[in-house]
Amino acid sequence: MNELLVKNAYVIDPINRINGEVMDIAIRDGRIVEDVGPKATVIDAGGCLTLPGGVDSHTHVCGTKVNFGRYMSPEDMRAGRVARRGVKHATSGYSVPTTYANSYRYAVMGYTTLLEGAMAPLEARHTHEEFSATPLQDMMANTLFDGNWGIMNAIRDGDQERVTEIVGWTLSAVKGFGIKLTNPGGTEAWGFGKNITCIKDEVPNFGVTPIEIILAMIRACETLRLPHSVHLHCNNLGNPGNYACTVGTFNQVPDLNEKRQTLYATHVQFHSYGGSDWKTFCSKAEPVAYTVNNRPQIVIDMGQVMFGKTTTMTADGPMEFNLYRLHHDKWSNHDVELETGSGIIPVYYRRKNLVNSVMWAIGLELALLVKNPWQCMLTTDNPNGAPFVKYPEIIALLMSKKYRDAEFATVHPETGSRVVLPALDRELDWNEIAVMTRAGQAKALGITGIGKGHLGLGAEADIAIYPIRVGEVDPAQEYRKVIDAFSRTKYTIKRGRPVTRDGEVLVHGENTTIWVDPKMGPGHDISQDTEFVKMFDRYYSVRMSNYPVQDEYLKRSLRMETEAVF
Amino acid sequence: MIYTDMVCPFCGCLCDDVVIETEGDRVVRVDNACTLGTHKLMTTRKDRLKGPIMRDGAGGWRDASYEEAIEYAAGVLLDADRPLLYGWSSTQGEAQGLGVSMAELLGGVIDSTTSVCHGPSILAIQEVGHPGCTLGQVKNRADVIVYWGCNPTEAHPRHMSRYTTYADGFFLQNSFRERKLIVVDIRKTETASIADEFVQIKPGGDYAVFSALRAIVRGRGAVVPPTVAGVTKEQLEKIAEICKSAKFGAFFFGVGLTMAPGRYKNVRNAIELVDELNRHTKWTLTPLRGHYNVYGSNEVFTWMTGYPYAVDFSRQIAFYNPGETTSVDILARKECDACLIVASDPGAHFPRKCLEHLASIPTVLIDPAQTVTTPLCRCQIPTAVTGIDASGTAYRMDGVPIHMKAFLDLGYPTDTEIVGRIFEKVKEVRHP
Amino acid sequence: MRFLFNTGRTVAQGIGLDRKSGTEYAGATSRCMMNPVDMMDLDVESGDHLVVRGPAGEVVLSVVPAEGTPRGMVFVPLGPYANHVLGGETHGTGMPDFKTQTVEIEPTEREVPTVTELMEEIGGVAYEQGARP
Repeated sequence: MNELLVKNAYVIDPINRINGEVMDIAIRDGRIVEDVGPKATVIDAGGCLTLPGGVDSHTHVCGTKVNFGRYMSPEDMRAGRVARRGVKHATSGYSVPTTYANSYRYAVMGYTTLLEGAMAPLEARHTHEEFSATPLQDMMANTLFDGNWGIMNAIRDGDQERVTEIVGWTLSAVKGFGIKLTNPGGTEAWGFGKNITCIKDEVPNFGVTPIEIILAMIRACETLRLPHSVHLHCNNLGNPGNYACTVGTFNQVPDLNEKRQTLYATHVQFHSYGGSDWKTFCSKAEPVAYTVNNRPQIVIDMGQVMFGKTTTMTADGPMEFNLYRLHHDKWSNHDVELETGSGIIPVYYRRKNLVNSVMWAIGLELALLVKNPWQCMLTTDNPNGAPFVKYPEIIALLMSKKYRDAEFATVHPETGSRVVLPALDRELDWNEIAVMTRAGQAKALGITGIGKGHLGLGAEADIAIYPIRVGEVDPAQEYRKVIDAFSRTKYTIKRGRPVTRDGEVLVHGENTTIWVDPKMGPGHDISQDTEFVKMFDRYYSVRMSNYPVQDEYLKRSLRMETEAVF
Repeated sequence: MIYTDMVCPFCGCLCDDVVIETEGDRVVRVDNACTLGTHKLMTTRKDRLKGPIMRDGAGGWRDASYEEAIEYAAGVLLDADRPLLYGWSSTQGEAQGLGVSMAELLGGVIDSTTSVCHGPSILAIQEVGHPGCTLGQVKNRADVIVYWGCNPTEAHPRHMSRYTTYADGFFLQNSFRERKLIVVDIRKTETASIADEFVQIKPGGDYAVFSALRAIVRGRGAVVPPTVAGVTKEQLEKIAEICKSAKFGAFFFGVGLTMAPGRYKNVRNAIELVDELNRHTKWTLTPLRGHYNVYGSNEVFTWMTGYPYAVDFSRQIAFYNPGETTSVDILARKECDACLIVASDPGAHFPRKCLEHLASIPTVLIDPAQTVTTPLCRCQIPTAVTGIDASGTAYRMDGVPIHMKAFLDLGYPTDTEIVGRIFEKVKEVRHP
Repeated sequence: MRFLFNTGRTVAQGIGLDRKSGTEYAGATSRCMMNPVDMMDLDVESGDHLVVRGPAGEVVLSVVPAEGTPRGMVFVPLGPYANHVLGGETHGTGMPDFKTQTVEIEPTEREVPTVTELMEEIGGVAYEQGARP
């Protein structure tokens, strides 16, 4: 029996409607309990801000393209190297750190659960191998279905049941968590060097449109009773005027689930652009936020851009090539047969660049204009908008108009005529930040039931204690203190065990991989379907029997079984 | 017993459709594999060491127990100021990961056979990136295939039938007729003899030919002289036109580029040609990787250290500087004072200058069979062969991770087990 | 005569990869493929022996005519014979001169050594063991 008592914690736990109560938290064997015995180890939180462990519902930290980002960027590796010490491995990398570096840095910031935003099913084994080398967080992988041949054919044939069966079988085979659509249809078009502009374009050679893919996948997701909703990277990322496509997509989404959103739209900053070219480029955060405010079935994440060097990486291969043609540094691309694609380029977001300055403003505008914090998550689409180590600065920007104004004074002088940011007076409070960085993310992912994102009885004892006393700091004025506090916890506790203290990593750790195993019942096993098997045999370069990820690839496995209702 | 969908542990193609029939612990039939793979699978029991061997101190060899050999290996590594941990390409990913952790704790250098194979390709990729794809993408779409400075017929015998020339593809009615094959080499190889276009370049001329092609593709053909490295401008223009009018082009290259004069600059120029072609149509590029899991060593090293090969932990950080921290350089400078070789055969593949140093220091070899390196080492520990009597993870040349399955049990420990036991001994002395 | 020394993989060399103690492997990797016109200049016939001298030493190989090999170049399969003449220079890339070394070649009456002899010459100790039964 392993007991821990966190005393004098100033707790904000939005899911349990606790907003700033000083209390003790009792932990036994990794779970939060009513009380513990007198022999329990005691940690005195000293009245400091205590939150559920951070949850990142969209980040790129593990897998084929992330590793390629490292592989092609020794300059980035050199920018983040730390020597081996104690239980800590040597680490490398700033924007695409090694797995250990990701794990240590997230842990020091109080994050205990991460969702890898994009896993190609064919290369899932790689993602799982890297999960095992990310020891201090629990991991899950969104699985890419944006250019899946079997699914597009089923949609064209009007066979929704088959769509659901393929999704269910694939998630289970590759030990994925949720459905990810990256530029649906666009990655298939990129197979021949083409792209899709918006949801009504037809995908070449397949006779379906992106909106048909999105809606069919939403139906499949709900039929399979998946914990998370469809997770969408909209078409036309990064282009001036793309907000119309984004709003058009949101307006097509039905409200099908009582517990959570029906669509999670990711890195919406990159999809909220006005203007007709780079000269007229401007913010359209207002109409996008307005749409979200009127549609509770939508949850978004910011995809905030922060100035400096980073690496962009996405399954959206054609977008990366277009971006490369603007930046001219270096470009990698990796199409995945019958499924999806990906691209990587390094970028430098500059304050002196008008477009970059507008992008920076848009992310903040979205977070301030979306009224309900449960509908807007704090992310950078790590590392696309910025490396996740920038989160504390983003928190401070959202809590302080003064800080925003100070930063705004340093960006491109024409930015003011393209954005509404200076007119927004809203300053988020501690509770709202807690929602946007853990509670809301856990709810959107559908993992509160397994004890994530809150501190209620029975919850997983993932806790972040930040060295700041809420009553003694005015975040609107003292934003530096907010940045410092969120950069380095006093304690990060994972599964009831302190894993970092004052920035020092204490244990080696071992991750849990959370995945979904939908049970579909007899007659719905697509792997017995002759046409499906034939497609596999003829067009994949691996045998169907060698495709599923074996159990041994998951060190600790948390299987969420769902019961499909056809 | 008949085993289907088995994975061949020979080259970077990692064919996973192999059928193996065994009688007892003998392989009696192999279907679907190429000559190289079949030979490896059929003769797997030949030349395997029965157990560890060590020098007897009197100019000969003696048998040793696993325990003794492991103790010796750990002692040699702990005693070294600058240990080199080399090889790692024909083994399981799991063993590679342990090797990295051990190198880190020892403050040693870890390098894979990459450095004498596609190391220069990685240097080029680190300069300009890598437009690539999985091999199934090529098989289903490519109507133009280029093999440059490589000879798949000899080195990757099923590459053409599984992924390119002879493979059926979704978007091609008759793939053999519809796909154009361009072969570029300094000598007329077997592969060249079946090409639609064979371009013979004078040795050392690859860089110039890439530059000429780039100029033509960019519409600057006027600057190209009548012949470039022995290739006529007429032929270059024809090749450029075929490439530009492809629906999907796939460029494969081998060590003919990485070892030729210019080394990584050749590959950089190849990538930039492919980059240029992407402004006209779709093109991808893939290095033909040799050992079945050499790409896995790059993947594992990268997620653990940030660098694909040649990683030096002597200053506790991961430090990478090919040309300095690569094995051939370290050996040629007589810098390392102990060497652990896992699943590779530098005796056959390193320059003599390096081998002379290897023979003069305590070298431990972990390898299933007697190899050319055997006489050069002081101790050899035999292990199971991944894909035959051990299972494990390997990465195909295009990055697709494959689970290798075992079908025999010959009683040997795996590489992971042996490296792990050495590491345990190391940790007893040098606490993390 | 001076030649460009080009080394690389062949099927025969590859087959021997996992059983390098065998005579097939020695035979497969001690071949020096040469343009027939160059062979006439050297006054050698197929199967004759050549001594190849490079920066690290010399090795005896047997010559094989190869039309596909351009004049002034020899092709030798990757392996211990080819490497026996190579130095450790990598020009800052980690990659030695596997395809870029210039060597001196002349006919010889000397025998082609065994792989074991090559290793012993550089400080190795031969190991003899029957294959596992």
